[in-house]
Amino acid sequence: MTSRGAGVPASHRAGAAITPFGRSTGPYLLLAPPILFLLTVVVYPLFYAASLSLQYYRLGGFAGLHNYTLAFQDSLLGDSLRATLVYVGFAMAIECVLGLALAVAVQRTIHSAAGRTLVYLLFVVPMVTPPVAAGVIFRLMYIPQYGILNVLFHDLGYRGSPILWMSSPRMAMFSVVSVDVWQWVPFVFLVLFAGLQAVPADVIEAAQVDGAGGRVRFLAIEIPYLKPLLLLVLVFRFTDTLRVFDHVQVLTMGGPGAATEFLSLYLYKIAFKFSNLNYASALAIYVVIVVSIVFSFTSRYLTEETA
Amino acid sequence: MTRRALLAAAAGTAGAAVTAGAVRRFGAPAIAAAKPGQLNIGVVSGGEILGLKAIAPMWDKETGVRLNLIEYPYASLYEKMTTAFQANASTFDIVMLDDPWMPKFGSEGWLAPLDAAPFNLQRDPDIFPVVYDLGSWPPPSGPVPPGEGGKARHIYAITLVGNVEIFMYRRDLVSQTPQTWDQVLADAKRLGNASKQFYGFTMRGAKGNPVISEWSPILRAYGGTIFDDHWNVVLKSPETLSALKFFTGPLKAVSEPGADVTDAADRSRLMATGHAALGETWPAEASDSVENPKVSSVIGKVAYTVVPAGPPGKHTPLMGNWLLGIPKAAKEKDWAYRFITWATSAKVQRPYAAAGGIPFRQSILTDASLNKRYPFFKAMADSLAAPPFWRPRTPEWSAVETILGTHVNAALAGTETSEAAVDKASSEITQHMKEAGYIK
Repeated sequence: MTSRGAGVPASHRAGAAITPFGRSTGPYLLLAPPILFLLTVVVYPLFYAASLSLQYYRLGGFAGLHNYTLAFQDSLLGDSLRATLVYVGFAMAIECVLGLALAVAVQRTIHSAAGRTLVYLLFVVPMVTPPVAAGVIFRLMYIPQYGILNVLFHDLGYRGSPILWMSSPRMAMFSVVSVDVWQWVPFVFLVLFAGLQAVPADVIEAAQVDGAGGRVRFLAIEIPYLKPLLLLVLVFRFTDTLRVFDHVQVLTMGGPGAATEFLSLYLYKIAFKFSNLNYASALAIYVVIVVSIVFSFTSRYLTEETA
Repeated sequence: MTRRALLAAAAGTAGAAVTAGAVRRFGAPAIAAAKPGQLNIGVVSGGEILGLKAIAPMWDKETGVRLNLIEYPYASLYEKMTTAFQANASTFDIVMLDDPWMPKFGSEGWLAPLDAAPFNLQRDPDIFPVVYDLGSWPPPSGPVPPGEGGKARHIYAITLVGNVEIFMYRRDLVSQTPQTWDQVLADAKRLGNASKQFYGFTMRGAKGNPVISEWSPILRAYGGTIFDDHWNVVLKSPETLSALKFFTGPLKAVSEPGADVTDAADRSRLMATGHAALGETWPAEASDSVENPKVSSVIGKVAYTVVPAGPPGKHTPLMGNWLLGIPKAAKEKDWAYRFITWATSAKVQRPYAAAGGIPFRQSILTDASLNKRYPFFKAMADSLAAPPFWRPRTPEWSAVETILGTHVNAALAGTETSEAAVDKASSEITQHMKEAGYIK
């Protein structure tokens, strides 16, 4: 004997709350927390920023697209964008090449579980270091008067004038990129190393039987398997390097002049030093649009690849 | 009468007696206010509150009202205070504010006037007039922000930390106190020896506030200024250019390598470890580092004086005071005022200074015994009497300083010529002041 109602969906059982649309409230209640969360931390701030971007600085009142057009006349923003692109380009390229090289090297040379665990642990240290602390560490290395690098060069016999690691635009760019590389090569390494573990062993063995060397194995088998992961890494690093702030602020404060004043530092300056939240909001909306476009393209590609 | 009502009445009588005692002791206005459990004071974390921390237990003991120091880092303090004021929240009974914030707080009307009823603060001849001017709004001299000129002037805050930029030099190496920037340059050239990592001058030239704090006294000493009395940008002048060329040319040449990334801690370290002969400094730096026996190798070898004069012969030190004010929304205004008058009194400023606080009273700064321990006090007194100049009184100062600090830093690093730096800074500041509605 079965009880009445057994096999009937819960929503159709007697006593279950039904919405005016004829459905149970259960799914809506389950969806409510994430929707509320998204409304609070994403939608509301976005609309608030959009409304700020449509007002005049200080004077208030509806400004239309004034703040958006201002961006096209702002030569300092252009300088900042150029510096940001150089930073993003160098940091991403170096991190991906180094991370991939390290992943392949470790995969082919270290086979013991203990050895690999030790490598993981060592590589996790830079990733968990707060960016501000990383900036302080590198500042203590690069400071010309008593930085460890100049002291080291001096001890090795270098007798020229001290190297000014943060004083010329090129050296300052090198300094801030080096911190990013130190901190995020491990991330690229860990993701790609995990990807290499997923390459089927039988495919590798078959290639070896057919006489494929290490280079061919890498280009014809491992790289195609790693392609979606490489793209994922690129997207993550792109969005992350685009919003770099902490270590640059500690290391160069965006200097010399505005040589390392990247987009996030520029936005910070406009919003908090100039108190011009209106223009800063317009710039932030531009950033959201660009990042969304990049993300939608890559996610579509990733979906196709993984399918 | 119920037992609860009886207890409440007894507590009220006892509180009134204590309050009356406190009023007599501190000479505070005759306002009857119930004794609070504690006073909440928003303060900046760091060396600036060394003295405040030392006198807090004295206040607690004398009054039975606990002083609750709510510490924030520099940037957070400003944010917390403005958020509380905008919401008219009674988070703080007293606030500690940096003097460049005064224009914002004054124009927004967030603080209670101290020289009006019920407080009626009277000027004390032992306090330098510039201290009262600094805490007044609208400012008694210089340009006044649009819409502020018609307001009645009041004192809204009183200095607690009498920071003023001074000049330090190795008295074992420099025989005559440097009075002008030319003398500084001559001494620095004579003493500097880069191969031995000993620099004639130590320059704080990092981008933004650091380089502007360092260069501003030189700009003013050369007769340059940023604004005229109507907020027109007058930076493009021969005086400004001379000041910048001196700073980025001969003075940089006798300074440590990488002056364009040197900040206060680096400068103090160079001086304290015996790697520099001359330089500007803030009292807190001297106290924390150069005169700190735990870290300094030059104790007794450094002397202090007023920041040197430029070609016109005028000494122009920069002010950087921390002040105490009472928010309009504060719950315990009466007790807050009592604390302010107590903490800034001559009686309390002595233990405050002895514990490492930066005082501001003339009698304390010229006290012989305190000068033995803190040899920069006399230079501070002379600087406050000079008188020092303050940063332009406008809420836009942060933006102006950022723009100027970027280009002066670029000139120092050699990525812009002095002429280009002055041109660019001038046009960007003009553009900003137009956007802010100061000029057309």
